[in-house]
Amino acid sequence: MGSAERLKDFLGPEKVITDPAIVDLYAREPSGLASKAMAVVFPESSRDVSRIAAYAYKNNIKIYPQGSTSALSGSAVPSEEGIVLSFERMNRVLGVSVVDSTVDVEPGVRLGDLNIELARHGYMFPIDPGSVNVATVGGSINSGAGGLRGARYGTMRDWVLGLNIVLPDEKGTELRIGCRTTKCRQGYDLVRLMVGSEGTLAIVTEATLKITPLPEAMVTALTFFTELEDLYEAYKEIKESRVLPLVLEFMDYETALLAKEASGAPVEVEGHMLLVGVDCNREAVKRVEAWLSELMRRHNAKRVFTAIGQEEAERLFTLRRSLFPAQVFFGNKRYPGKRLIVLLEDIAVPPSRLLEAINRIREVSNRYGLQVSMGGHVGDGNLHPSVAFPVDDEQVKRKVMEWHREVAKIALELGGTVSAEHGIGTLKRGLLEMEMEALGSKRALELMRGIKRVFDPKGILNPGKVI
Amino acid sequence: MKYALSEASRCVYCGFCEPACPTLYPGGHRGHGPRGRLQLIATLAQNGASRLVEEALYTCLLCGACTLLCPAKIDVAGAVREARAYLRSRMA
Repeated sequence: MGSAERLKDFLGPEKVITDPAIVDLYAREPSGLASKAMAVVFPESSRDVSRIAAYAYKNNIKIYPQGSTSALSGSAVPSEEGIVLSFERMNRVLGVSVVDSTVDVEPGVRLGDLNIELARHGYMFPIDPGSVNVATVGGSINSGAGGLRGARYGTMRDWVLGLNIVLPDEKGTELRIGCRTTKCRQGYDLVRLMVGSEGTLAIVTEATLKITPLPEAMVTALTFFTELEDLYEAYKEIKESRVLPLVLEFMDYETALLAKEASGAPVEVEGHMLLVGVDCNREAVKRVEAWLSELMRRHNAKRVFTAIGQEEAERLFTLRRSLFPAQVFFGNKRYPGKRLIVLLEDIAVPPSRLLEAINRIREVSNRYGLQVSMGGHVGDGNLHPSVAFPVDDEQVKRKVMEWHREVAKIALELGGTVSAEHGIGTLKRGLLEMEMEALGSKRALELMRGIKRVFDPKGILNPGKVI
Repeated sequence: MKYALSEASRCVYCGFCEPACPTLYPGGHRGHGPRGRLQLIATLAQNGASRLVEEALYTCLLCGACTLLCPAKIDVAGAVREARAYLRSRMA
């Protein structure tokens, strides 16, 4: 009896699929990377995961845990023959406690669905990657996801209180780590070690997350600037005004035009875009709106659109949410009928170096003759320059990969990092080494390899990723 | 299957379509959602259809909700319709 048949035998045939056409659906991601796997297994409980892990350990079978495969770094794609562990069927919100400000969830819950549930209580989970409606809690934990509200709310590592995990050992040991309280000293912080570990150390089967109240009111300003320098001065003044915006988003002029064309957003694009969202109490709305409008105009904003309240704000957000769609739209237009890869960079620099970073990336992109979309969560210095290119065009691919390294170098030279919120996966392993070398800390990679060996002595869990 | 394959080739597998799909979760695997179906159409042309592939193409309600969320505005329902016609022609 083969391994997949044995899995069917003890889990039940409905939890294992071996049809190669269906398995292939779980062996690819939007980065364009694709691979092969032996089977997809759909656990329905932590006990299922434990039995799978123990079986895989005994039989040296590689396990690739997977959420919705919206990753952009190669972290969700099998790299050798093995089984994909899909959490699509572990998708329940187990309990919300407003008093404790926590929610307990299974890893397959999508962030968008979680927020629909939390909104019933007047709460939200604030981590909102661009793929918020697709991405799952488990995937977000493992990739250390961030999002539009990162400047205010940080990333997943700030919102995970406790985890149920399964170890890849002979028993498939089930552990609970972390607390149900914000304050928690439990020796070394294993919860934060799991966050961003890209499924290479243990398998998350349940999470206790912090939640936060929905803002009472929000003022949104969508503004356009002819000069990048003016936009940056406005950005700086906001940061220096003792106001911590919920959202501070940027798109350069060319990208904003593409996004407008792709999305049909009902606004006129008249330059580089800065989108600001400030939450406040209801009584302060008019004052904040007037402050933002005056500040933007004083820095030569060509157009300022403001909105009060969620519904009106959504109209202004359409443009920014179209960054990824714009690149897909443009790629399809430029390479009709071709299968595309969209390479989305994920660097972060200290906000004080943002203007320099944007200008240098634009210069490098021009030098390589690439049509690069440029946008990002500038509130926390996170930029996502991206390029779409045909999967079978080796010449363009080579050029894009060189550009990819140049952009990473710029980030490092400015005191930044090569990956802010998407993770390392396979695509950025070389860049991670580059970063640690630039810091004079290559030994840290050895420490990471040591940690990997402690958790996963046989190297069966998402091998080939991160390090 | 020219139209179906052309639509399938435009999919970058972002999954933005999936939250709109009413058949994804009841179906039990990704083939019962829009990005899965587009990928299966490409497979169908190359390798023919297994039982699971056929099921996935026939559970689509052709509602088109996915196209509203798709960044590339791919006509998944149109592609699935053509794939079904292709399957029928092979059975005849």
